[in-house]
Amino acid sequence: MTAPETKVRSLDDPTMFVDTPATIYDAIPPYPPRTEREAEFYTLRDGEMLINIGPQHPSTHGVLRVVLKIDGERIVDLDPVLGYLHRGVEKICENSDWHMVISHCDPLEYIASMFSEYVPVLAAEKLLDVTVPRRADYIRVLACELNRISSHALFMGWLALDLGGITPILYGFLERDEIVEMLAALTGQRLLFNYMRIGGVNGDLNHEFMSRLGDWMSHALRRIEDSMTLINSNEIFVGRTRGLGRIDRQTALRMCLTGPPLRATGIPYDVRRAHPYSVYPELEFEIPTREEGDSYARYLLHLDEIKQSVHIIDQVLHRIPDGPIMAKLPRLLRPRPGRAWAAIESPRGQYGVYAMSDGTDQPFRLRIHDPSFFNLQSVGLLSPGHLIADIMAIMASLDPIMGGVDK
Amino acid sequence: MVSRPWQRLSPAGRVLLPLGVVAGGLGVVFLGGVSSGILPNLWSWVYEALSDNLPLLRFVVAATAVLLFTVPTAFVIIYLEMKVIALQNLRLGPNRQGPWGVLASTLHGFKVLAKEDFTPTGADVPVFTLAPVVVYLASVMSFLVIPFAPGLFAQDMNLALLYFFAVGGLGVVGLMMAGWSSFNKYSLLGALRAAAQIISYEIPLTLSVVGVVMLAGTLSLNTIVHQQSGSFLDWYVFRQPLAAVIFFIAATAEGNRTPFDLTEADSEIVAGFATEYSGMRFGFFFFAEYVNVFILSALTVTLFLGGWNAPLDLTPVWQALGAHPGAIDLGGLGVGLLIALLVVPPILTVLLALPFWMLFTRLRFWQALGIGFLCFNALVGAAVLIWAAFSFDAVMGLLWFLGKTYVFVVIFVWMRATLPRVRIDQLMGFAWKWLLPASLANLFVTALAILVIAQVRG
Repeated sequence: MTAPETKVRSLDDPTMFVDTPATIYDAIPPYPPRTEREAEFYTLRDGEMLINIGPQHPSTHGVLRVVLKIDGERIVDLDPVLGYLHRGVEKICENSDWHMVISHCDPLEYIASMFSEYVPVLAAEKLLDVTVPRRADYIRVLACELNRISSHALFMGWLALDLGGITPILYGFLERDEIVEMLAALTGQRLLFNYMRIGGVNGDLNHEFMSRLGDWMSHALRRIEDSMTLINSNEIFVGRTRGLGRIDRQTALRMCLTGPPLRATGIPYDVRRAHPYSVYPELEFEIPTREEGDSYARYLLHLDEIKQSVHIIDQVLHRIPDGPIMAKLPRLLRPRPGRAWAAIESPRGQYGVYAMSDGTDQPFRLRIHDPSFFNLQSVGLLSPGHLIADIMAIMASLDPIMGGVDK
Repeated sequence: MVSRPWQRLSPAGRVLLPLGVVAGGLGVVFLGGVSSGILPNLWSWVYEALSDNLPLLRFVVAATAVLLFTVPTAFVIIYLEMKVIALQNLRLGPNRQGPWGVLASTLHGFKVLAKEDFTPTGADVPVFTLAPVVVYLASVMSFLVIPFAPGLFAQDMNLALLYFFAVGGLGVVGLMMAGWSSFNKYSLLGALRAAAQIISYEIPLTLSVVGVVMLAGTLSLNTIVHQQSGSFLDWYVFRQPLAAVIFFIAATAEGNRTPFDLTEADSEIVAGFATEYSGMRFGFFFFAEYVNVFILSALTVTLFLGGWNAPLDLTPVWQALGAHPGAIDLGGLGVGLLIALLVVPPILTVLLALPFWMLFTRLRFWQALGIGFLCFNALVGAAVLIWAAFSFDAVMGLLWFLGKTYVFVVIFVWMRATLPRVRIDQLMGFAWKWLLPASLANLFVTALAILVIAQVRG
């Protein structure tokens, strides 16, 4: 091919020009290395090749871009390039009042957005010293656990899809669809619920929600377990996930892993028990753990957690009291100046918000601690030495949501 | 202007008018040729040339027929795959294009034809363009030796099996060409995976067949099928069960089907060797894959499941039931036949239309008549097919062959809906550590058994 003489703008850095149009797709950035690590990574030894996984790739679950340095099929090193979904949510929150923060934080963990809107609400309530009505607390727990199940069901399908099985994800989506329809009856939305309010929730339980919930509860566990038998003991699936991406306890703690990846290593850390919030101290549930710490353990752990969530929903439905669903609060919220840390157990781990208030109606600073970001970091530790196909199984089993990683 | 009347023509007219002109021109040429005596001379010359080169003519006709046969086959299998996987996924699948969506894959074909054919910058253009052709032709040419029915085969070679593996192995050259010329790392990885995988699985695939060849004493597929005639107990799957299993597994890998579809693993290397292809060039890869599925199923059936042989010879049963379909003599009906041909179709059409007309009040009478006409045609078609199946061995054999083959096609599709994908090291390990020793053991045991039986009998 004859290359045109003109230089074209690089895709990595539009201020730079590169020689041939073909090289605009090259993984090597056209600027000189900025750090020692970058210089080392982008220097290829004999037989090595750089390959882009993402930002538009079927199995990076969003817009994660990972530059792989491969030797044949084997991964030598990798360089995750983040920020393709960065919207500056933390900064936007500083310029919006406390009610608007809820809807800004909503799409961070978009698979389970009930959690990402719960945390800033919890932080604001701590700053305001509000006591949430007990019925509202129970409704929050109910909605969150439902959302946790929908997120876990999707995870299990996704892991199988990234390993090449096309059916389990549709079974997962069946489960998720029922729950999401249910939550839509409760909140009015299917994906970004915007349901939590500072001091309570947006609406009381209604008839449609309860009837859908009753329908679903009658077959919930049975159908999830049934549909997942397709891959639970499938020889190929187990052969590809068992022993893959194994993390030991010390490394997991050092890498700040939380949620299922941490519990799969045998550490029973769950914010619902370790730092209880809402009405979780009143509810009975176990913290399932696994010892192996590999992808398969993470997968099975999600199934155990779904069982516990169904158990929690059952208790909530039996114990939920009557009463108001919103605390009495002024329309314009001006929390006292101060700082508050609130954390909850999202489907992906400890989801926290560190909020600073200067006494105005807007947060002075809202630091969002998203578990996906910390869980995703361990990809760099786990992947080298494995094959290209394995990075999909590792990444999917860590279950990152890029909305929360890039914020 | 010239274009004005052209634009005022209806779409049908725009087709018919040029056709009429061409037909008229041909007619004039034909009449002129006949009257001047050129055409008869030309015709006799062509006839002599053709009769001198009969094998060549036969090959050209057979290759063309096979090429034409692959297109509807691919359409049927693509539709089957969409629908079966949808049902297994608890979805509806295609249901908008035609009844039950049966036209979906055909329309996909037209869509692919109409799409832009894009050649990426940096691609090696001649190789990039040729690669789909090589892949498609390798699949199509494998069709040449498959016996569809008694007397219905494209070429009867005494080296049919060898030819099949030789031509089938050409496909990997096309995949390598595609992967190398695309100027894309995903394509390159996919092509290298394809090369490694297909060459590795070629060995157990071929070795598993050697047992059958030793039993049959020939490489000709026609002879192998003839030797399996009789009841289903004569099929080679009962004498070579291990070989059948190895062959099917290796065939799955050979056709790049799940769980061995690493060459186009969409969650890892996007689309493998076909990443940079679009339009009909991609369509050729896509077609070749489904043609391969059919061919590998067909070969499994031919080698191990008796080809076009019926599982049991049911002719005595029909005769005991008093059915002598072959004995119907239409000429014996005389004038009655003429009257039946004139009277029966309208009466049956109306009779078949009546229930629709009565049950669905919103149907106009002519719509009901149309449905009745279609039903009548379907009925007549089915009757003719049944008559033909009972009267001609070839039709019956074809039906059995296609039936068995599509069972295997559905098994391929079923596996695709069910199984995840294996990893490349597991794939290679499985081929070299399990399939190859197993097929060697099978070969050894078969040879020993043949020797022992020969000794005992002799």
